[in-house]
Amino acid sequence: MEHVAVVDLGYGDAGKGTVVDALCGRRAVRAVLRFNGGAQAAHNVVTDDGRHHTFSQFGSGTLRGVPTHLTRFMIVDPLALAAEAAALGNPFHLLTVDGDALLATPWHRAANQRRERSDRHGSCGMGVGETVAYALSSPEAPRVADVLAPARLRRRLALLRDAYELHDIPLDAVVDAFTAFGRTVRIVDDRHTDRLLAEGPCVFEGAQGVLLDEWRGWHPHTTWSTTTFDNVTRLCSSFRRLGVVRTYTTRHGAGPFVTEDATLRLPEAHNGHGAWQGPFRTGHFDAVAHRYAVTVAGGVDELAVTHLDVPGREPGLRICTSYRGADRIVPGAHRDLAHQAALTSWLFRAEPAGLHRPGDWAGAIGELLGAPVTLESYGPRAADKRFAVRGGHPMLSRSA
Amino acid sequence: MGSGRWSTDVYAAAEHYRAATGQSAFAYSDGGAREVHPDLDPHGVFMRECRDSDEHPESTPIVVMFDVTGSMRHVPRVLQARLPQLLGLLTRQGRVTDPQIMFGAIGDATCDRVPLQVGQFESDNRMDEDLSKIVLEGGGGGGKRESYELAMYFLARHVVTDSMVRRQRKGFLFLIGDEMPYDRVEPGQVGKVIGDDLRQAIPTRDLLAELRRKFEVFFILPTAASNGGDQQVLRAWRDLLGQHVLELDDLDEVCETIARQVTTDSPSTPQLSLTTRRL
Repeated sequence: MEHVAVVDLGYGDAGKGTVVDALCGRRAVRAVLRFNGGAQAAHNVVTDDGRHHTFSQFGSGTLRGVPTHLTRFMIVDPLALAAEAAALGNPFHLLTVDGDALLATPWHRAANQRRERSDRHGSCGMGVGETVAYALSSPEAPRVADVLAPARLRRRLALLRDAYELHDIPLDAVVDAFTAFGRTVRIVDDRHTDRLLAEGPCVFEGAQGVLLDEWRGWHPHTTWSTTTFDNVTRLCSSFRRLGVVRTYTTRHGAGPFVTEDATLRLPEAHNGHGAWQGPFRTGHFDAVAHRYAVTVAGGVDELAVTHLDVPGREPGLRICTSYRGADRIVPGAHRDLAHQAALTSWLFRAEPAGLHRPGDWAGAIGELLGAPVTLESYGPRAADKRFAVRGGHPMLSRSA
Repeated sequence: MGSGRWSTDVYAAAEHYRAATGQSAFAYSDGGAREVHPDLDPHGVFMRECRDSDEHPESTPIVVMFDVTGSMRHVPRVLQARLPQLLGLLTRQGRVTDPQIMFGAIGDATCDRVPLQVGQFESDNRMDEDLSKIVLEGGGGGGKRESYELAMYFLARHVVTDSMVRRQRKGFLFLIGDEMPYDRVEPGQVGKVIGDDLRQAIPTRDLLAELRRKFEVFFILPTAASNGGDQQVLRAWRDLLGQHVLELDDLDEVCETIARQVTTDSPSTPQLSLTTRRL
């Protein structure tokens, strides 16, 4: 069984949604599995007939009827899920949720926003990081299965409320909404993932990007989430690693961005100024940073390059292959935040040196990142995708 | 990536889920069911158990059974909407250890198809599922009587509680209705509905004495029911239960009314309030 894991090699927003949708349109996919992050994900899919949805917790194969499974690594936000489901026509028959997944709550969200006001580091204001932080400090952190046991749910939410000293959020109303979520959504145990993987090819849909990884990103401008393939390896023994990049580099919120160039005219259809994340920033393709991402992610088998239509519209766009005085970012030991913080201060001072404009963008990017480009995307729809003629992967190779 | 673009309004979310599930609270009944749901069928049940567990080491059994015959009008639907909040209220109030709740429904064994429905003791939202499977009979017998005594017979003889076995603590039973019990438990009805081979009829008063060894028994008469405030009904129950007869003016207060009577400490006398009047 050939499974594929889709991971963003930048700061998020590379186009994982559109890639997952294209994979699901290419052949029968048993399920799309989310394995990190939470409701802060915003993966845009535009169908060939023009329907648009920004996927947050539902997998990006939903419009094609592909089921979504939220694994235990996902931070589940029942409130945001309700609104998203309603926008999709309530496809709850396509959704399963692992009972061990953590629950994001209004208390986490409020604490997150309170913190972000005093220390802007680019979080999304959805409480994902706060949910993870609280779970590290308390064995009583609310989990999805708790919605099936209202007494335990209430006790755990009350503990949370007291821990954050946020008393203006109505506990009863949250218990009510969460138990309603429990009556509506299929909650399963950890055997479900194995069952799906045995039944057919699956797609693992990553959230955010490797350069925001909690251990590998530019500390502290990171996310409380493992954005590499690490969680996938804990769920699945064998899968192809597909890295996604745009033809240019983007980032939301604060943090180092060596190739940032405000003069580039790169209009963004779906990414604007996030109330909590600050502006959407764009810059030249940072091959140095993306190469680092490939290394710390443990390598990729193939690449998807999106926004290949953009270089033709923006003649100023370049690829950056080195910084002044350095052509690589040196990875540290895993979980060495001192090293990551040192990288951050170095990157804040770094300047792009080698900038050039290739003739063949996809080929150049594949060469620089050391993997074949098996999927080229020239626009938001599946029809704008081109699968490489010679991809070793049955899901990605052109059917004869 | 990005940020939350979907509303996280807690009330809207609850509504969305309810709308998506698309179920009336009485989905089974509203689906046209006129037979007792197998999960709630008392026939052949050996024991409904209220057991201690690691998570709930000192279980307190609480039974709420309501009359679902026609005289109750819309009351069962309001109760159904309110009762799921009972567990939360009891837990929050903290006057009772590890509450486990069982819901049931009472009809009339002389003429109804569904004279008795009993769920299981639950400490999570499976009790809501039990509620949703209750058939709203809507019929009922004449003469202001329903088969309350049949429900009490089942609770006296087919319920075992660790709270009594291990701690000699009674559970709590709340009968919510607007009519009187029959005077005797009839062997024919017991055989047909529950499956026991009863040799002779048991006077309701004797059965109550047996039941009250296990449960504090309360009767709640909602004002909104057909016989709300009916003196004959109140007298009959007061004669059987003394002070444990309450009138409920505001149906929305049903959980609070029950919660006020429930405490793991010594059996209490009913508390006065705006919505419950001692008789």
